[in-house]
Amino acid sequence: METQYWRSLAERENPSELARAAEAEFSENPLQQIEPGSSRRGFLKAAGFAFAGAALTGCSRAPVEKAMPYLVQPENTVAGRAQYYASTCGACPAGCGLLAKVRDGRPIKLEGNPDQAISGGATCAVGQASILGLYDSLRLKQPLAGGKPSTWAEVDREILARLRADGAVRYLSGTITSPTKQAAIDRFLGQFRNARHVMYDALSASAILDAHQQTHGARVLPHYRFDKAGAIASFDADFLGTWISPVEFARDYSARRRPPEMSWHAQFEGRMSLTGSKADRRVRTAPDEIRERLAQLAIRIAKLSGADDRFLSSASARGWQTTNDDGLPHVAERLWEARGRSLVVCGANAVHTQVLVNYINHLLGNYGATLDVEHPSRQRQGDDRALANLLDEIKTGRVAALFIDGVNPVAELPEAPGFDHVGLVVSFAGSLDESAERAHYVCPDHHFLESWAGAEPVAGLISLTQPVIRPLGATRAVVETLAAWTGQPVNAYDLLRQRYPAQWDRAVEAGYVAMEAPRAPVKPFSMAPVELALAATSPEPAAGYTLALYPSVAMLEGRQAYNPWLHELPDPITKVTWDNYASVSPAAATSLGVSDGDVVRIEAGAAVELPVVVQPGQHDRVIAVALGYGRKASERFANLGPRWIDHRPSVNDQGRVGENAAPLLAFEQGSLRYDRAGIRIAKTGRRIELALTQTHHTLTVPQQLGGEVRPIVQETTTAELGKPPEPSEQREELWPEDHPYKGHRWGMAVDLNACTGCSACVVACQVENNTPVVGKDEVRRRREMHWIRIDRYYSGPSENVEVAHQPMMCQQCDHAPCETVCPTLATVHSDEGLNQQIYNRCVGTRYCANNCPYKTRRFNWFNYPREDRLANLVLNPDVTVRTRGVMEKCTFCVQRIQEAKIEAKVLGTPVKDGDIRTACEQACPAGAIVFGDLNDPNSRVARLARDARQYRVLEDLNVGPAVRYLKIVRDGGQAGRPVPQGDKKNG
Amino acid sequence: MAEVCSPLRIPLIAGHKKAATVTEDVCRPMLRPPSGLWWAGFTLAFSLMLLGVAAVSYQIATGVGTWGLNTTVGWAFDITNFVFWVGIGHAGTLISAILFLFRQKWRTSVNRSAEAMTLFAVMCAGIFPVIHTGRPWLAYWLFPYPNFRGPLWINFRSPLAWDCFAISTYFLISATFWYVGLIPDLATIRDRLAGESARPTLRQRLFAVFSLGWSGSYRVWHHYEVLYLLLAGLATPLVISVHTIVSWDFATAVIPGWHATIFPPYFVAGAIFSGIGMVLTLMIVARKVMNLEDYITLRHVDAMCKLLLLTSSIVALAYGTEFFTAFYSGNPYEQFVFRNRALGPFAWAYWIMVSCNVLAPQLLWFRGVRRRIGIVFALSLLINVGMWFERFVIIVTSLHRDFLPSSWASYRPTIVEVSTLAGSFGLFFTCFLIFCRILPVIAMGEVKAVLHVGQASRPVQETTV
Amino acid sequence: MNRRVLIGIFDNEDAILDVTDAARRRGLKIVDVFAPYAVHGLDRAMGLQRSKLPWVCFLLGLTGAAFKVWFEYWTTASDWPINVGGKPWNSLPAFVPITFEVMVLFAGISTVLAFFGMSRLWPGRKPMLLDARVTNDRFALVLEEDNAAFDVEEVERFLRDHHALRVEEREQEAAR
Repeated sequence: METQYWRSLAERENPSELARAAEAEFSENPLQQIEPGSSRRGFLKAAGFAFAGAALTGCSRAPVEKAMPYLVQPENTVAGRAQYYASTCGACPAGCGLLAKVRDGRPIKLEGNPDQAISGGATCAVGQASILGLYDSLRLKQPLAGGKPSTWAEVDREILARLRADGAVRYLSGTITSPTKQAAIDRFLGQFRNARHVMYDALSASAILDAHQQTHGARVLPHYRFDKAGAIASFDADFLGTWISPVEFARDYSARRRPPEMSWHAQFEGRMSLTGSKADRRVRTAPDEIRERLAQLAIRIAKLSGADDRFLSSASARGWQTTNDDGLPHVAERLWEARGRSLVVCGANAVHTQVLVNYINHLLGNYGATLDVEHPSRQRQGDDRALANLLDEIKTGRVAALFIDGVNPVAELPEAPGFDHVGLVVSFAGSLDESAERAHYVCPDHHFLESWAGAEPVAGLISLTQPVIRPLGATRAVVETLAAWTGQPVNAYDLLRQRYPAQWDRAVEAGYVAMEAPRAPVKPFSMAPVELALAATSPEPAAGYTLALYPSVAMLEGRQAYNPWLHELPDPITKVTWDNYASVSPAAATSLGVSDGDVVRIEAGAAVELPVVVQPGQHDRVIAVALGYGRKASERFANLGPRWIDHRPSVNDQGRVGENAAPLLAFEQGSLRYDRAGIRIAKTGRRIELALTQTHHTLTVPQQLGGEVRPIVQETTTAELGKPPEPSEQREELWPEDHPYKGHRWGMAVDLNACTGCSACVVACQVENNTPVVGKDEVRRRREMHWIRIDRYYSGPSENVEVAHQPMMCQQCDHAPCETVCPTLATVHSDEGLNQQIYNRCVGTRYCANNCPYKTRRFNWFNYPREDRLANLVLNPDVTVRTRGVMEKCTFCVQRIQEAKIEAKVLGTPVKDGDIRTACEQACPAGAIVFGDLNDPNSRVARLARDARQYRVLEDLNVGPAVRYLKIVRDGGQAGRPVPQGDKKNG
Repeated sequence: MAEVCSPLRIPLIAGHKKAATVTEDVCRPMLRPPSGLWWAGFTLAFSLMLLGVAAVSYQIATGVGTWGLNTTVGWAFDITNFVFWVGIGHAGTLISAILFLFRQKWRTSVNRSAEAMTLFAVMCAGIFPVIHTGRPWLAYWLFPYPNFRGPLWINFRSPLAWDCFAISTYFLISATFWYVGLIPDLATIRDRLAGESARPTLRQRLFAVFSLGWSGSYRVWHHYEVLYLLLAGLATPLVISVHTIVSWDFATAVIPGWHATIFPPYFVAGAIFSGIGMVLTLMIVARKVMNLEDYITLRHVDAMCKLLLLTSSIVALAYGTEFFTAFYSGNPYEQFVFRNRALGPFAWAYWIMVSCNVLAPQLLWFRGVRRRIGIVFALSLLINVGMWFERFVIIVTSLHRDFLPSSWASYRPTIVEVSTLAGSFGLFFTCFLIFCRILPVIAMGEVKAVLHVGQASRPVQETTV
Repeated sequence: MNRRVLIGIFDNEDAILDVTDAARRRGLKIVDVFAPYAVHGLDRAMGLQRSKLPWVCFLLGLTGAAFKVWFEYWTTASDWPINVGGKPWNSLPAFVPITFEVMVLFAGISTVLAFFGMSRLWPGRKPMLLDARVTNDRFALVLEEDNAAFDVEEVERFLRDHHALRVEEREQEAAR
């Protein structure tokens, strides 16, 4: 039964009636009740009311509503005061520490746990959005038996009845970082003679583990330490976006990118990834060239190291001669310079390739420094070989019982396993996904915010998950379910408690506990596999198109497909929303005769049809397609967005968002391959209008219109940094200084050099400020509502393009052009320098938006639907939900400012720097956004405002923006270092 | 008097009219049942108006989202139509007030309908600022009225607030001016209708009421003349101020392409240009439909064509100046906007504007053209189109590509917007056609005063008692 | 108290101008002249003094402007000052446009009302018509028989000499 929330006894007695009353009560405008165009009648009504009715409602008052105060106030609970509980993010196996913000019993926001090592206080877009999953109305509310709602007692009985001790029992799960859960699974499987636990990751790193099995004798995933890396070479590893533990990596990476001391980063990749967009040196490399490049690099470094001529001799014997192309020499040199604190990572899921990577890192002496294999990461444990065997067993009907936990094999694997020959299929999925709907029984797990759990993302770091709300449905934690089936029912809390009795209380409070972990049994580096890898690598260049399947920053493997926030989040690079697509290089586009939106058919075994996106900086032979789309979960968006005569749906003809590219995956030498060589691609002639949030991609205006470059994003070089900044000239003020900022003066600084464009801030802002989701059609019409957007600009030649990410939000100008033109005084200036928007005074002339040079104002073109009352529980009660026809925009999270000021007033202390952190600043893994008081000379923001890299966008308009930007620092310009081509100044 | 007052040497009014015939000619079309042609026009106009009503109701009920606007282009058809209609209105005031001050006697035959046109145009214009808001039912918040919010007044620094005052003042003054001009004619008709039937009909009563018991007393005429002069004197700066303020909606903004000091004169000239265009369109139709050829002679057409030529040249100069200022300012954003106008995605609109407003009117240098009603009519239509596009170009091309390339966007109107525009024309012509039926389209009182102007001899004296 | 008036009806502008002028010079008391349109110079012929309307217009225009300037200052700078785009509390230049509009509004409307008052025009007032065609194409000169010395025959002859179409004598209550 679903938990009922009631505001008054009356409502509990007779909920339906009050619900109706509430409906009527909160509508400011009777027209909203009318579904225009839905029927002739409705339309006529609308027409009738339009003028007269509208005028009247201006003066309507909502009746007084009875609320029930606490009679006895629960301990340390103040109504309307948020509480924060430490927990752990369950959106992906990375296991970031969280602080869950709970208001009056409902979690409304997730923030990073600053003390926990993985998160360090930051989150990613997916983590931010995952709170919506808690309030997902399509989550299962009770177990299912044969697709019919059932009860736990029944389900338990039936399943136990069908389990036979001798049958082959297989437990298929994603990476499980929780020792408690692992133990529970083992205990459960222990009851059977032929039972096996198979782990796989839809975004597999299996090859890395296997490679270490070969070279280090232990199947471990090294714990990469980018915070120690002075020189980084990444081969197709999008470690800032999606690879293994992006939040941790992005934080550590940007910690080393603070000028003047900057680490150096080279990226070899086929598509333009988030990571590639930040690289100092980016070399376009097709996936099928990666291993050859690595071999080349290995040879060069082996040469530099002067050691190990055995390898070199065998190389030359195999006809390898080092070529002087693609900056490999330069990269080798930089890596060698930084040996012992350099790092080579590779995203390719091929064992031979990874072996070469290990060898290079070994040569550079990075093991024990930037790669920790003794306290390895547990964030990826999947074993593709085991998965392949299991699939084979399933196909040949050798599996009696299959338990599916936290994965969706039907949608995630190249070919959906047929369950017909499996005697019993049980899924633990929280909602009815592609696999669950084929299972005989579905035993829904809690949402991670509802359950007790522990995770060990990295050896020795136990991160705890504590429930922040009572389960909304009759779901049951998997560990409890398994325990029940093992015959000794126990609840998750006790299981966890038994495991960590010692530091329990402070562990729960802190959200994590560090324990002494046994060091992994690694052996000294063995050369043999390297020889094999080299043997398996051919120096001959490959040809023909290759397909690169990658996880998108928003969708990852696709378990987020239910989440509208993530679908509407523009891809950090292409700025496409609500779709996946085939991105091709400009050259390839010309040769294929396609342009943005042309639908192409890609065949590699299976076939998908996708719209093309032309991507500068992409390898000419590479076609890149994002995984995780075309999921059943996205069918819910069929009716998303405002409904009116010219409305188009957010889903495609199949009723889903995007196409599922998983069928294009393949197993090669026992590992899941994300790149396919020799695919066929053809134009279909169909076109799709993509929903882009940015359609002009450079700061250079079109050639025939002048072709000048606008100084919106400014850059400098490591060389220039040393020089003293030229003094900025003082301007005459036309007006007398009537408005001094005596107290606080809020301001923000955005470090464009640090910003990776990961877009965590965008979702964080959406959650914090109740920004509506508008749907694909509205985005197509350029009406997305995000208060903070990340502008992405390309510069330089398209084959060697440079990327700039620029977070853009309301600049809170001192001389705000928007304020002067508003006739109704609906946007005015606060005495703390805030540009305030008064929603209920706004009549929506849109004059302010027209007059905003930064175009950061957002208008409610419709009443964006908020019908899902369960999803509405995520709304932040401190922020007004805007109605149709009013303007809105970034407020610098004024609600947080007020909260902190009140807090300080109560304590009688001044507001300290850092007390107030805006949602975007809080979420940012790179620490690129800093908010604070410009009047406090020692505040971080004030210091940054004096930084040599500091500039303000469109400063010469003299609107006095309160947001400072810090210039991007491009590598180069120094003596002896080549200036990368396309290193074009935008200043 | 003729010599001092009228620069024209040949008759203003053709066909040796007498005062009585003037009354006769002007009243006849009012008193006989409407012609089939009138009915046809009325039906068309009225159905267009209904279409507009439907579109606006739907938009108000659903949201401004039913227009093709977006975050970048916040105004398009709505404000374009607003400025367009206000502009149309200005010609009426020009003819009735400014030409009056300049003692241009030829205005007398056209000023009445020109003023009516002003009123209806301002009515059409007034609709758009209201419906373009996100919450039209709150549009009255733009006026400073005593309230319980502090009291919270309005932002007197906002050009939109200025607009509210300008437009409402303009409407009230024009309406008053028009009505004052009507009083003597209303009286004339009242007396003409008198004795038509035993019991006074509704129409008679109405004329009786609205003619305020006018008896043609010269002691009243005496004040009346002064009043008319004063109103003309007020209306003249008013009309200039109104369009100046409208132009400030853009000129005071920071958006390149809007932020220009040339706007006020540029807009005023443009307004009068478009207005004369519309007057010509209406006049040429009216004189045919209501056979008033003797009153609206080729002379009037010719005179107005010359006005067109003048204002067209001013507008052309403004277009040129804009480009020069942009180039001379050395401001890259400013320069870009104008390059973008002429060569960008909306170049087609820009060149429609130039060809209709600058190139086409050049034909009017030729007397032969000015005298050919057909061509003049076609030109007047072109000018209306061109001036609508001028506003569209100024608004949309400046907005759609402003400072940050990231927010560059395009704009496509929806069916709702187009219907609304059509509806405004429907409203305008409906009002005008009704006016033609129920009120004297020609100011009899004034025409009678200028009958003899330029006539070879005074009308022969009749000696009947 | 009633008075007797002598009325001459004329049918053109020039006639009425001459006769009025002559009558004034003869010292006859001109009650009023009725005309279908404003005949230029008739005011001089009748010897009317200049109208006071311009003063009304000027003063009320001034009042309107003054009020508006004060009101805008009071609302934006004194009663509830709000920081709008960092502009000074008293942004006088920005107040000019509305001030001007309000001035015109006051001046215009008040002048018209003043005119209605002065010339006693209001809805539904019964017009006093000397001739049904006086609003069409006839002109009428009204002379008051102010004293015994007034010789009706002689004045009638005088009117006829000036092309009066018709001359008639009437009782009329002294309206003015």
